[in-house]
Amino acid sequence: MGVNVNLNNRQPSGGQSLSIVWIIAGVLGIIFGGLLIGALTPALLPVQGSAESQQVDALFRFMLVIGGAIFLLVIGVLIYAVAAFRAKPGDRADGPPIHGNTTLELVWTIIPAIIVVILTIYSYQVWISIRTIQPLNHDVEVVGQRFAWTFNYDITPETLPADISAAQLDETVLASLNSDEGLQFSHPQLHTWVGEQVELKMRTEDVNHAFWIPDMRIKQDLLSGRETSITFTPIKAGVYRIVCAELCGAGHGNMAGTSAEIDGEVDLRGAWLVVHEDEQTYLREFYEPEAQKALFPPEDPVERGRQLLASGSYPCGTCHILTDLNWNGNIGPNLNNIGTRAASRVGGQTAEQYLQNSIRNPGAYLVPGFGNLMTQFNDESGEPNYMPEEDLSAIIAYLLTQTQ
Amino acid sequence: MATISRPLPGLDLKPRSLRVSDYLRWSVDHKIIGVQYMALAIFGFIIGGTLAMLIRWELLTPALDVMADGQAYNQLFTMHGSVMIFAWIIPMMAGFGNYLVPLMLGAKDMAFPWLNAFAFWLLPPSLLLMFMGYFAGQAEAGWTSYPPLSTLYSMDGQTLWALALHLAGISSILGAINFIVTIKNMRPEGMGYFQMPLFVWAVLATSIIIVMATPFLAGALTLLILDRVAGTAFFDPARGGDVLVWQNVFWFYSHPAVYIMVLPGFGMLSEVLSVNARKPVFGYRAIALSSMGIALIGFTVWAHHMFTSLQPQLRIPFMITSMIIAVPTGIKIFSWLGTIWGGKIHFRSAMLFGLGFLSMFVIGGISGVMVASVPFDIHVHDTYFVVSHFHFVLYGGSVFAIYAGIYHWWPKITGRMLDERLGKLHFVLTYIGFFFTFFPQHFVGMLGMPRRVAVYAPEFQDWNVVISLAAFLLGISTFVLLYAMIVSLVRGKRAGANPWRALTLEWATTSPPPASNFYGDPVPFKDPYGYGTEAAFYYLEDLERRYGKPEDAAAPVGKAASQAAGD
Repeated sequence: MGVNVNLNNRQPSGGQSLSIVWIIAGVLGIIFGGLLIGALTPALLPVQGSAESQQVDALFRFMLVIGGAIFLLVIGVLIYAVAAFRAKPGDRADGPPIHGNTTLELVWTIIPAIIVVILTIYSYQVWISIRTIQPLNHDVEVVGQRFAWTFNYDITPETLPADISAAQLDETVLASLNSDEGLQFSHPQLHTWVGEQVELKMRTEDVNHAFWIPDMRIKQDLLSGRETSITFTPIKAGVYRIVCAELCGAGHGNMAGTSAEIDGEVDLRGAWLVVHEDEQTYLREFYEPEAQKALFPPEDPVERGRQLLASGSYPCGTCHILTDLNWNGNIGPNLNNIGTRAASRVGGQTAEQYLQNSIRNPGAYLVPGFGNLMTQFNDESGEPNYMPEEDLSAIIAYLLTQTQ
Repeated sequence: MATISRPLPGLDLKPRSLRVSDYLRWSVDHKIIGVQYMALAIFGFIIGGTLAMLIRWELLTPALDVMADGQAYNQLFTMHGSVMIFAWIIPMMAGFGNYLVPLMLGAKDMAFPWLNAFAFWLLPPSLLLMFMGYFAGQAEAGWTSYPPLSTLYSMDGQTLWALALHLAGISSILGAINFIVTIKNMRPEGMGYFQMPLFVWAVLATSIIIVMATPFLAGALTLLILDRVAGTAFFDPARGGDVLVWQNVFWFYSHPAVYIMVLPGFGMLSEVLSVNARKPVFGYRAIALSSMGIALIGFTVWAHHMFTSLQPQLRIPFMITSMIIAVPTGIKIFSWLGTIWGGKIHFRSAMLFGLGFLSMFVIGGISGVMVASVPFDIHVHDTYFVVSHFHFVLYGGSVFAIYAGIYHWWPKITGRMLDERLGKLHFVLTYIGFFFTFFPQHFVGMLGMPRRVAVYAPEFQDWNVVISLAAFLLGISTFVLLYAMIVSLVRGKRAGANPWRALTLEWATTSPPPASNFYGDPVPFKDPYGYGTEAAFYYLEDLERRYGKPEDAAAPVGKAASQAAGD
């Protein structure tokens, strides 16, 4: 035949031709390479804002070192093989008929198994540690709804600002302060202070959401029909963006804090976490002034309406523009100057009627160019968002003052 | 040695020539059905890819400016995910399985040819239903469709979506039953389970998963449809339902579905690496059994998709199982490295995609272990880190394997070669485009960008521009493959029976094979990966004598070889 069979013109195992020096160099390269990749950790993750974030980041660094080393090992072997075992042009021969090597296969089964056991134990320890709850004196109720966050803070007789005595309070306010339900005030931002473990008790008004503060490394879904909770301990004063991480509809991406620069000053809009230096600052700058507003509700419906909307109790600001309240939503119609336009929108409807319909039954009339996306604030919609009559009239009174 | 290229006298070779119309009508021939699956899948890939391009176009800027509103954007990625999974990867794998399994077993057809055709013909209406959604208010709750967003807050397209998935699921189950029966009963004499090609092993493992998992998808979809149209309240907490039921049942299917999408790719990879490295698969049994191991453990990990919604005390068990599944996956990767080590590697397009798979899939594996860790997953859950992770698995894994499979078996299916230069161009563009599309997504995810948003914080824009530009390159790369396919059909070189000199049985017949697949009863070579032995050499020489050489015999094996053979 004259056919040159020439089956194996290479040594049976390519591995044996590797000198020990190369193997040592490779192992060292992989170890140092893994450590180098692990050193990138701070650049890959955002600010460490909480005690939890330090532990999670350390865990990530550990996984990154091991993962980086495994990546370099696989890529190194691959590149070496590609370079060293290239068939020469015209080479019809086959490689050596090696079917396996039990020792080697055991090694690459057992070592990864040990690695995942270590990772599992380490992850478990971190998990237990970040879930240990000290006796808490600070909790905040988080309400998610399409498409905004509301934070409800309790006022109890014990937390009344020092300069306010119960005697000064209005009767109805006092009654709810002493009732089982208690008195709460709402705010669109989450406020707390450095070093205090805070528990967030979460519920959703509609679909599932996920409450995420990247700088704190915490995330927890809000589940329809359930109350969920999460704790964290901020370690650094500052402001941190809050993000919704579970798809909740058309405005999902708008459920995150945004910022705008006005005259050189950064103006925060939407959902942000504000961490104060200490409890005193928190009380002085946030809690007491806000509690004051709730304890002495304005008589004037216009003032009350403005305060309601500014508190974020209703999620309007995510979708609408209203300069007076710093709303810059881009999903629904612009509300600037609505007081002038409302009367002429729909024939036969007064301004009040038009605004009332637009809130109670927003699908009935759609502003040209906008879809039927708005939550219905009525108790017949089957949706749990409900706006009591006194809130509605206050909000309408306020909106009618918006004439520029 | 002119006699070598001439078939033996007495063997009447009739490679089949089929018209396009043969593929457009009902046929019970597994080869036609296989091509029908693949053609439909490539159509789905083009649609899903176009949607992906629109997603990346929207994400060039932090504001919503390309799509009309947030809803339109949500519909975009909902359809992208659903189409890529149910109209591209799963049917493409089913196509390869249909075409190759009977051939690899030396069988004339699948066990149930009529059922096979029926399973395929459920898919076109499924795809149609899914797109009809655009006339009824398209589904917009993501491919995971969590209630109550998908029940109380979605339009009628969501119902059509669920019906479409129902059809695709039935198709899957029927196909899988067919594969299991075929593999169990129709192996030729001399081929035990451990002499089967690894692709057949992978299809067997996949089919077992499909038969066990897909009914849970059907169950979940049924409950969803009932909630939407019949007024039941399985997922409505206001009336006693529970939204976590959906998440549990859905992921009980959809995590194994990841293995449904990637295991056949593993099988193709074993074939491509071994043939092109001219070396037996390293650790055949380990690879075969690790597929089964993955299939089994894959049923115990579903709730790692719920680390931020599952009750906290239940999270740890799922972390443990999810970590364990890295071990059999690692065994495969190391075994494949062992396969190419010391071989004689031919850098054909199929092999390039095979090696590309190895280098990219390992990244998806490493990030997979990271997201299995509960404390870290809580940070990156539902972010671009996860988007990156599963694209490394499903694109860097499944799609690269599909590409390798296309280059490897195209000559068998069409009888013609694909242009190697176009194949290499396709590989380079895909590799670069893929890496720079998906690797930076890890960064934006970790830094704070959630998935499924059209509006994002301005500090992520730089990376998103990089990602989008790379994605456009990736999109363009697909057209190189489509162009190469057309060129090959028009004027591709004749492939001959066995252009890659492979030992598995699908190469022991003409390309394309005749209607009954083989000329007489084929005798499988005792070891499907017995490269490097004298017996294998003479077996391959004998195949060439029987069925002829490729038209350009010099190209795949080199010029010097034919000269050497001539002296």
